Amino acid sequence: MRLFRKVGNTLHVLSFPGEDVEKGEYLLVEDKKLEKSLIAQVIDVQFANVPGVMEELLRSPDADETPPTEDVDPLDIMSHILYIQDARLLVCKIYGTVFEGRIDPENNWLPSRTQSSIHKLPTSSLLKLANISKGLRIDLGTTHDMTPLSIDACEMDGRLNIITGKKGTGKSHLSKLLALGLVQHGATVVVLDINGEYTSLGLAADGAKNEHNEKIHVLSPGQNFKVTLYQTNLYVVMRILTYALSLPGTSAREFRHIWKALEENGTVTLHELGGAINRWKCNQHVRDALYSRYYSLVHSGFFTDNMAEAVDLEALLKKSDSNGGGAIVINLSDTSPADRQMVVEFVLAKLQEVLSEHKIRAVFLFAEEAHLYLRETYWDDAVTRMRHFGLFTTFVTNQPNTINENIYRQADNVFLLNFVNEHDLEIVSRAARVDAETATSIVRDLPPHHCLVLGNVVKDFPIVVKVKPMNVQTMGQTRYFFRQKREEVLSPNLPSA
Amino acid sequence: MLVNEQLQYATTPRYNFPQITQDTELHRKLLEASQRTMNDVKEKAFQPFSTELIETVAQKPHADISSDIEGKTASTLLTPLTPIQDGTPVVGIDVSSIKIGETETGVLCAVRGAVVWNQNRRYRRLRIGPFPFHVTEENKRELLSNLNGGLPSETSFLHIPLPETISRLCAAIERWIQASISHSTNDGIILWDGSLTAGFPGSKLNDVSLALKAARNQRNSVLAFSKVTSIRFLGWRITDLVAKREGPCLFEVEDLPLSMTQSSNRLGRIYVAKLAVNGSAFRLDVDRALAREDGVKAVRRLLGNELMYQGYPECLRLAHIYSTFTANDVIGVQSFLTHNYGLRIMPRCSMRKALFGPYGTGFED
Repeated sequence: MRLFRKVGNTLHVLSFPGEDVEKGEYLLVEDKKLEKSLIAQVIDVQFANVPGVMEELLRSPDADETPPTEDVDPLDIMSHILYIQDARLLVCKIYGTVFEGRIDPENNWLPSRTQSSIHKLPTSSLLKLANISKGLRIDLGTTHDMTPLSIDACEMDGRLNIITGKKGTGKSHLSKLLALGLVQHGATVVVLDINGEYTSLGLAADGAKNEHNEKIHVLSPGQNFKVTLYQTNLYVVMRILTYALSLPGTSAREFRHIWKALEENGTVTLHELGGAINRWKCNQHVRDALYSRYYSLVHSGFFTDNMAEAVDLEALLKKSDSNGGGAIVINLSDTSPADRQMVVEFVLAKLQEVLSEHKIRAVFLFAEEAHLYLRETYWDDAVTRMRHFGLFTTFVTNQPNTINENIYRQADNVFLLNFVNEHDLEIVSRAARVDAETATSIVRDLPPHHCLVLGNVVKDFPIVVKVKPMNVQTMGQTRYFFRQKREEVLSPNLPSA
Repeated sequence: MLVNEQLQYATTPRYNFPQITQDTELHRKLLEASQRTMNDVKEKAFQPFSTELIETVAQKPHADISSDIEGKTASTLLTPLTPIQDGTPVVGIDVSSIKIGETETGVLCAVRGAVVWNQNRRYRRLRIGPFPFHVTEENKRELLSNLNGGLPSETSFLHIPLPETISRLCAAIERWIQASISHSTNDGIILWDGSLTAGFPGSKLNDVSLALKAARNQRNSVLAFSKVTSIRFLGWRITDLVAKREGPCLFEVEDLPLSMTQSSNRLGRIYVAKLAVNGSAFRLDVDRALAREDGVKAVRRLLGNELMYQGYPECLRLAHIYSTFTANDVIGVQSFLTHNYGLRIMPRCSMRKALFGPYGTGFED
């Protein structure tokens, strides 16, 4: 390989047949005289712009054609000509300088074109140099050169994360891997599970209980997840009424008076609330507004007056926090959009409450397709306020445009799976942690279950990893009508959703 | 007569083409000549040229001399052509050379020949080379003598500039391939690039005569097409004489008082050929030893059995394309020289650029 050009933080390297380099691999450009090396990642492999190639190809027969041609070339010069035709141009992004065994982010020096040697940097060496795969390890899978890649759970602590990729590429799989990895290290994880994909986290592929079973709690609103108004303080209820049920300000003020009155009487129940609204002296429009929200609460099935069937989310969180971690999966799959928002508001408000009162240390929130249930203002909260409470969100989506642009800019870790749509690629390339060219070029060609990891977890060295399989029952698969036929044809490699 | 026109080629699995690759003598001599010159330049440095094609000597303009006009009407000299489609094989030959670079003592060049066969509209090609040569003042005489089979007779040989030597080298190799094809092809039409003119430096009369004789012995007809001609009649370029005539036709200019060099020996009967309805006209030399009728018949057979691209035979067009050096070829040859002979490439400094800076040197960027 020969160094050809450096423009800004982009290196152009010429490589010849036999020097097989793939997108995503790292190169070390070593200037022995200066005793410094540049670390650069290959983000695109192109044909070198060799003059005369067009003419050469036009007059050459196809490779698979039995050519009615013959060459008398006793000196074998044609092999040199063909060798040059196959020369490649590697477009690389510089990620730092190695000097005296340490990585420095500077790249404002030029290695010698004639004296530099260029060779592939094995991922294991990069991990060692950059101090990746240390600490509380979560095994993600293997890199292109079969090096196991682990990330440090600490680098997800206090961070904002994004997992995105088109459907069928393995987002949920990666998300489950990260969630279970955090649980294994004693973290409390809450999953807002829009499709019921995480409900079997505690089961192995064969349906038996797996090692995580005891730490997984699946809560289905209206079924095994009901709460009493008694457990729900005014702050939480007001958030539900305001954000989920769009209660106007005047009505909210009246509701607050009603709630206070019930609290004074010690009768904060659904039944009493209905009666209080009926008896309350207020404008008829306000009463109607309060009634309609009251019936929404009642019909959601999420609220109950029966203490025996109510779940104490706070207690569950505390237990998880003190018992070496656990995952609370909020199964939103059978919940209507309005009820879903109500449940989510309850959960978020409760989390904020227990975190702000330091009843638990921190929570890792995994939010799948969050645009379907999160209110607009939560995006900014996630970036600014939530991390101060100890709520660290991981957004998981196959529609990158549904995530607020601020989230991309502020994301600490980004896990990118395949996208081919130019519009989607343009959106994900806005992430501050990613060089736009790198994201666009590498992500476009990622095979399913391969992920480009960016951010703190890889010390800002983008690394492509093949995500490892898990012994967890898959629930995120697409349900096919022609399943049997597909299995006959594709078995055993049915794609997962 | 019918028997004479039957093909007598050795059978190959796909095509019935002659096996020139068996002519190892030709390859061996070229290889030896190449290696002899190249061994002298091992481990030295050279400055690469920009890709510059060298025209063969035969196509270079000759000195003009005016002659008197003899009265003949154009119509009597014009022969309309009807194609004869009889499966006659057509063979086109061309050789190209290119200067690769300059050493302290000489010029590095490469030569490549191409032969294209057409039988029943199926085309097959053979490329010979490239062969690199290091031409110096010291070895140019030996190099040409080896390829020509004897020392050149010209007394002024020592004063021939090196570029001219490369042209002669190219012409010698071309003659050699032509002779080889003349021997190995039967009952065909052999197309040469250039003219059937001999006796000037680089095109020995004897060599051309022998190649033509060998072709005739194998019942072949040699036709030579010149892409550009400087021959004029009454001040008009001869190819303009048939510009308004409807093709395909032949215009015989042999007996007209033409302005052209007198010193060379014309071994061909000169025509202007317009072989396509809307095609261009080319100077066509037909082997003079063939009867006039046989010559015209050969052109009709060419017309019936060969594709014409703007009035130019496809075999010859392809032979030119396959022999020509592209920039990619030049880089490949340079790579070969650096790997196999340890030659070092040194950047060529532009004297114009050094003296004048950006003024008037913009095209050199």
